[in-house]
Amino acid sequence: MTKSWRRHWRRGTFLPYLLLAPAVVLLAGMIYPFALGVYYSLTSYWLQYPNRFRFVWFDNYVDLLEEPLFVRALEFTLGFTLVAVVLQVGLGLAVALFLHARIPGRAAIRALMLMPLMIPPVITALMWKIMMASTNAGILNYALSFLGVAPINWFGSTQGAIVSVLIIDTWGNLPFVALILLGGLQALPTEPYEAAQVDGAGPIAMLRYVTLPLLSPFIVLALTFRAMDSLRIFDVIYATTTGGPNDATTNLQIMAYQYSFQWYQMGKGMAQAIVLLLLVVMVSYLLMRLWNRASESTQ
Amino acid sequence: MKTRSVTYERTVRHVVIALASALLLVWTVFPFVWILLTSLKSPADILSVPPTFTFTPTIDNYAALVVGEQRGQYSSTRPDFPRFFLNSIIVSIGAVALSVAAGIPAAYALARFNFPGKDTLAFVLLSFRFVPFIAFVIPLYILYQRLGLYNTHAGLILAYQLITLPFTVWMLRSFFMEIPLEIQEAAKIDGCSWLGVLGRVILPLSAPGIAVTVILGFMFCWNAFNYPLMLAGRQTFPVTVGAIQFISYEQVLWGQMAAATIVAAVPQLLLSLMVQKYIVRGLTMGAVK
Repeated sequence: MTKSWRRHWRRGTFLPYLLLAPAVVLLAGMIYPFALGVYYSLTSYWLQYPNRFRFVWFDNYVDLLEEPLFVRALEFTLGFTLVAVVLQVGLGLAVALFLHARIPGRAAIRALMLMPLMIPPVITALMWKIMMASTNAGILNYALSFLGVAPINWFGSTQGAIVSVLIIDTWGNLPFVALILLGGLQALPTEPYEAAQVDGAGPIAMLRYVTLPLLSPFIVLALTFRAMDSLRIFDVIYATTTGGPNDATTNLQIMAYQYSFQWYQMGKGMAQAIVLLLLVVMVSYLLMRLWNRASESTQ
Repeated sequence: MKTRSVTYERTVRHVVIALASALLLVWTVFPFVWILLTSLKSPADILSVPPTFTFTPTIDNYAALVVGEQRGQYSSTRPDFPRFFLNSIIVSIGAVALSVAAGIPAAYALARFNFPGKDTLAFVLLSFRFVPFIAFVIPLYILYQRLGLYNTHAGLILAYQLITLPFTVWMLRSFFMEIPLEIQEAAKIDGCSWLGVLGRVILPLSAPGIAVTVILGFMFCWNAFNYPLMLAGRQTFPVTVGAIQFISYEQVLWGQMAAATIVAAVPQLLLSLMVQKYIVRGLTMGAVK
């Protein structure tokens, strides 16, 4: 017994587990609160009324189905993600192709594009909040006035608020997509292009039949990261509209925040958080399958 | 005739490229320029209609940040920005130090050993990158209230492990895996133990990678907003939460908020210059090199 133990020790069978121990302890420190949260989602935990604490099974989840705000928040979460991802990957592809074409000043533009990418998202939101002041003192409305656009009530109107959040999120994350795709373009092999040139392919055909298929793993990767982040967008919405007006920009994360930190209904808030988590898991599963297909097709 | 149309096409091409470049530049840089200008304006200049580009610059907004006063009005809502800045530094350094200390051995194990459960563990760590923060912050808030970790630096450092630990392990693993196995085998033949391999081969050869991981980890902590929003109080707010304190029920202090955004962004802009080539790699947890 002790002999085999010692042999394992000498061979280093336990070594990787020993090396991992500190990280696993920290990891457990994250998983424990989460498990506690799952339990709370099955209770009527209301911070201000500790006496009402009861185990209610799935009541919090069932209640969600009858909650009109939940349906709207779910719609907004999915709709925003879809529009933001299509917009950002589309524009990002355009920017990447543009920068890939060896235009003058490419290195400078590429370096400057890191600026929006690396500042805190909440700071991005505050910068745009200043520029999107709804009065004529707002620089964006002033700039648009030259195009004959009447002053827009950016954060005060339903549509304006949704468009504002979309613009701000795009400003912060377009560089991420563009830089991933630019890196992908620069790593593409040259032979398929030479072959296509011999076949007499024009620039459009070249893009459609050579570049895009070869680039597809990078596109799916950018898509995945953007989709996962858009489903959970919080900072920008919190700092600009806080979910308003009339809950027009309330996504699941903002809704769960309001339930738990404004009304202190921790059980309900946690149930909403878990629904969002399940949504994220489902979308990531779909994207993973897309990723497998994209990387198989290029091999 | 032919040559004329070719030069015509070329001119059009150049104009289109110049316009597109200009558009991209304005879109990317103008917000920074405008916020910098706003931060140097007096309240009257900020509210001027139409917005003005010519004004007498003032450093009052920055002075108010440092002094922590609003110069006259609503002194009850004054945010203590120097303290927020210090909090950001303390918590970011603490979180990165803890993550690197636990992350180096973990990344070494995941990069160089084979053992049951390895892929599962790596995947669990990665999945934290995509988790909605609210699912963690609600129970953390309740726990922190009970344990006395609410509104403390230690509490924030622990909560930030959700951001930095998965990132650190995956980044370091990707750097460790780039070191050729032959060098490690040679060291083993020379009599190095696993500790010797780590200390004399892996760490020195991946020193630049570790530096990149530390800097990027620090930057991600600096960007953190939602965890401190719920788990910190006025004594421990970082700059990100501090900057929204200029929006109060009565008014928005545009000038000071602009100054605060500049102060919160500058460290990030300087640090990102140092790790330019690795930013995409860092943001994708090592997936894109």
